Amino acid sequence: MPLKREPGWYKDAIIYQVHVRSFFDSNGDGIGDFQGLAQRLDYVQELGVNAIWLMPFFPSPLRDDGYDISDYTSVHPIYGTLEDFKAFLSSAHERGLRVIIEMVANHTSDQHAWFQESRSSQDNPKRDWYVWSDTDTKYRGTRIIFLDSEMSNWAWDPISKSYYWHRFFSHQPDLNYDNPAVREEMWNVMKFWLELGVDGFRLDAVPYLIEREGTNCENLPETHGVIKELRRKVDEHFPGTMLLAEANQWPADLRPYFGEGDEFHMAFHFPLMPRMFMGLRLEDRKPITEILQQTPDIPSNCQWCLFLRNHDELTLEMVTDMERDYMYDIYATDKAMRLNLGIRRRLAPLLDNDRRRIELMNGMLMSLPGTPIIYYGDEIGMGDNVHLGDRNGVRTPMQWSAGWNGGFSTADPEALYSPPILNPVYGYPAVNVLSQKRTEHSLLSWMKHIMAIRRSTPVFGSGSIEFLHPANHRVLAYVRQLGKEMILVVNNLSSAAQAVELDLKRYKGNILIEMFGKNIFPRIGDLPYLLTMGPYQFFWFRLRRI
Amino acid sequence: MAGETLLTDDFLRQLINVGEVDILVGLPTHNNAKTIDTVVRAIQAGILKCFPRERAAIINADGGSQDGTPELVMKASIDDVWNASKVYTLRTLHSISTQYGRSPEPGTALQTILAAADLLRAKACVVVSPHATAIEPDWLQRLARPVYRDNFDLVAPIYSRQRSEGVLMRGLLYPMTRAIYGYRIREPYASEFAISGRLATDFLSNGIWQEEWGRIGPELSLMVTAITGNYRVCQAFLGTKAPPGRGASDLVGAMRRTVGALFASLDSHYPQWSAITGSQPVPTLGTPAEIRSETARMSRKQLREMFVAGIAQLEPVFRSILSDSTLAELQKIAALPVPEFCYPAELWARTVFEFGAAYHKSVINRDHIVQALVPLYRGRTLSFLQETRDGSWEDLEKNVESLCCEFERLKPYLLQVWANGK
Amino acid sequence: MREMIVTELTQAFQQMVRTVAHYLPRLVVMLVIAFVGWVIAYLLKLLARSILRLTNFSRLSENAGATRLLNRAALPSSTELVSRLVFWVAWVGFILLGISVLGIAGLQEYISRFFLFLPRLFVALIILFFGFLAASFFARAALLAAVNANFRSSRLLSISIRIIISIFALSMVLEVLGVAEETMLIAFGTAFGAVMLGLALAFGLGGKDLAREFLENKLATGKKEEKEDELSPL
Repeated sequence: MPLKREPGWYKDAIIYQVHVRSFFDSNGDGIGDFQGLAQRLDYVQELGVNAIWLMPFFPSPLRDDGYDISDYTSVHPIYGTLEDFKAFLSSAHERGLRVIIEMVANHTSDQHAWFQESRSSQDNPKRDWYVWSDTDTKYRGTRIIFLDSEMSNWAWDPISKSYYWHRFFSHQPDLNYDNPAVREEMWNVMKFWLELGVDGFRLDAVPYLIEREGTNCENLPETHGVIKELRRKVDEHFPGTMLLAEANQWPADLRPYFGEGDEFHMAFHFPLMPRMFMGLRLEDRKPITEILQQTPDIPSNCQWCLFLRNHDELTLEMVTDMERDYMYDIYATDKAMRLNLGIRRRLAPLLDNDRRRIELMNGMLMSLPGTPIIYYGDEIGMGDNVHLGDRNGVRTPMQWSAGWNGGFSTADPEALYSPPILNPVYGYPAVNVLSQKRTEHSLLSWMKHIMAIRRSTPVFGSGSIEFLHPANHRVLAYVRQLGKEMILVVNNLSSAAQAVELDLKRYKGNILIEMFGKNIFPRIGDLPYLLTMGPYQFFWFRLRRI
Repeated sequence: MAGETLLTDDFLRQLINVGEVDILVGLPTHNNAKTIDTVVRAIQAGILKCFPRERAAIINADGGSQDGTPELVMKASIDDVWNASKVYTLRTLHSISTQYGRSPEPGTALQTILAAADLLRAKACVVVSPHATAIEPDWLQRLARPVYRDNFDLVAPIYSRQRSEGVLMRGLLYPMTRAIYGYRIREPYASEFAISGRLATDFLSNGIWQEEWGRIGPELSLMVTAITGNYRVCQAFLGTKAPPGRGASDLVGAMRRTVGALFASLDSHYPQWSAITGSQPVPTLGTPAEIRSETARMSRKQLREMFVAGIAQLEPVFRSILSDSTLAELQKIAALPVPEFCYPAELWARTVFEFGAAYHKSVINRDHIVQALVPLYRGRTLSFLQETRDGSWEDLEKNVESLCCEFERLKPYLLQVWANGK
Repeated sequence: MREMIVTELTQAFQQMVRTVAHYLPRLVVMLVIAFVGWVIAYLLKLLARSILRLTNFSRLSENAGATRLLNRAALPSSTELVSRLVFWVAWVGFILLGISVLGIAGLQEYISRFFLFLPRLFVALIILFFGFLAASFFARAALLAAVNANFRSSRLLSISIRIIISIFALSMVLEVLGVAEETMLIAFGTAFGAVMLGLALAFGLGGKDLAREFLENKLATGKKEEKEDELSPL
């Protein structure tokens, strides 16, 4: 049963990103499934999020963790059946949780029936569904995304004796969006899921839909044309559906993906994320404020998506060389941690398991303008395993308890889809939901608390932002405002205590009310407002004039 | 006690905002608007090029400029609001300024910079002269790196100079410092140098700030403190020393800052230097720059005239300071014409040592003793120029080396006149 | 008649005895005071000598040029001189105190005048001493500055300053002592311009750099172009 589609619901959302395979195994085969996920929806609801983003669960050879799709309108048997999915969806909606699913629009698996047909002969009706060429010299100059594993964006197909275009792995041929049939079929696929009741799609790899000679084959106007068409159909038939763009681009290049409010509703703010980590280690707000100052305004019905970590590597594509070197040296000292111009580690290991830093980063995530996404496991401080291949180190089983397989599955540990984290610091005996639920001051309890505070006001989701620029560069301070409601956020990025004077003359006469403890702080007067802050401390102050 | 009122509230507030730094660059200024922009840009470029990841700050200690010098320094700031040079940086770079007084005083300027370095726990503190228009961004690395990475406590500069430049340094300060303190530091008085946070803190709590020579000649005092204390000292080749600013040819002022401070240091460090014999080399980093071609001349006739006039007119003063034999020899030299003029190294060393002893005993006002040395120095300059006029650079170095050896050889004479009197 | 003479003689003798009896104790007291005063004066002399030696007074006086003057006049050293002065002033003071005990009318006034004069004498001596000290110091300072600025008549300048400051000091001394006040007034008025110059130089040396610059700019004779060629000594 679908949830009532309110326009703009995504602006006040907190999204929980989860992979059904990693969450909970209900049938003891070592792989998480939809029945298991449904059983754990109470936990997700208690967390305080109001939307779930599911990673790909369609049938797939699983050579890229499900992003290589071989059937768009079914569920991979290892996760259950379509009925299981429907049951899960219904259960989620009952708890007020919206569901967003992946739509890998740019490419399919080479095992997909469409590709099998397309490659079979040059005359096949679906030949033109993919991008074929007799040579591999077209679209020269297009960058390779998976640098560690691919040498070219063209792959030779021995069956059809020609090259096919792939921006990602060679077993993921790109669909040809210049073909109206492709666009029509993708719309049918989306319609299928929307009719079941899903609330939105995350469209994977959208900048690469269209190719043109003499360009870098990214962010082309034709791509936007495709998106606008899709959006129009969605709004017409399923209003209130949310479209989220996955486009790893500079803010200025991201802006077009919102169109005039007629393309995507949301887009990930990729460039901000590494700069938050950078600012934290530099103990300098400059990287953060500069990228946000460069971020263009977006239409009022659109929203940025903010995140700290996700299922991919912490991408360092959208930083300068100097910044990338710095991030590598600081956060990925072991070269095994580096992959594809990124760092494949989870949040807690990146922050040295420092509770204060974890809180600070989540505090910024929750208070900067945008919809925050929590990656499953980060709410309890799960660790990673860089020795698993590709990005699998950050996709290990959810840790529910200190018991058998961390409470994830009753299967033999050797049968699990991935070994769980076992080391004494991050392993499931040390880090798990059950232990943290029993502790009032655990990270899990704290995350629930901060999400509750965030939900208590629409300012964070929909308000404007104005940066303060205190002379102490270690402090990041800004005011969020929606109508008459104002919230002052002050973050100490330094590992040492700091004193900061804030120029709050504009807000003179307001009393500050700290939002966690609800205690009152001195009224703002004529003089600069002095705050002293502990290491990595942050404040959220509601401004009240009485 | 002075340290408590040294930093104004406003400056302290600015320091709080800067926070802990790795590299601090100190700029003492007074009405340097003509040259400061070049210097500050080179410093900024040096920081961004050589230390892009390090926390750095530029601290300007200004002695009451009226021409907008501090504002020009502050323009080098780079943060998320202000970036006048529009350069890309990883971090915020603070460039702050404070006025320590209404008139320039080298001691207070240096003290302010050291206080900032101490409070900000800088690992390396580099001091740069506002006249250093020949500065290159690499200088920052050559000065700061030995301190920041290799745990040296003080890095003295070595400049490439013209033949007739820096004669006071070559002819008096270097030989005397070498003979007395036993270290072969080519430029004991440095306007660009780097020190460690440890040395900065120790020197700051030194008592020399209350004394006259601590206020006038702090740079040399710092050098002496470093080489007589348990500190690691080295020197680094930089490049060309900038052409002198207005007043740089003020010989009496230069003598006060250097020779005066050096003589004054002899009193407090007697137990150390009296036991030292010979000298040892100091680690020297980098490669020497090319020798500069000579572009200026000095008037030998005038040098001789001033020497002769000094000998004649200051005779009563010299009688209080010099031994009779030394004075007699000087009077003989005064009678020589320019082509035959020769002020031997041995006599010069003796002269300087007798002056040092007289300074120690305060036979007359100490400042007068320093001033009285000036005409004799001019005579020695003339002699030096004559000796090295046609020689190569190697010959000049040999000349300096033999002068140094003469100073070292005569050190027992200094000890003798120090104890006994004339 | 004989009885009258005897009676008169007896009366006169008795008068004399009474007078002697009246003054003798006082005479004794006076002598005692004089003797005690001598002892005290001697001790003060020793004390003064020690203090002067401790404070290196001889160096100060050498700086003042006083030593040279005394040597030329074949007088003892300044320390010795001052100690002896202390001795004599103290002893004379005690003697006068003793005389005042005698109660001789008319002498009291002169004695009190003497004691009133003493402070002025001390002040005058101090002014004289420091005046010579200042003269010597500033003369040397001016000499050095002028020589280093290549001023031709450095000696002349130095001597002029010494004389001017000495005259200034002397006139202050004489005024304090109250000797020939009106004459000094006129003479001082005449020499006022010279004193102003001395003051200006004193200020200039207090701001030494300015004075040096002033001398260099104003008094150096015409070698400016070569000065610009002179490179930095550092």
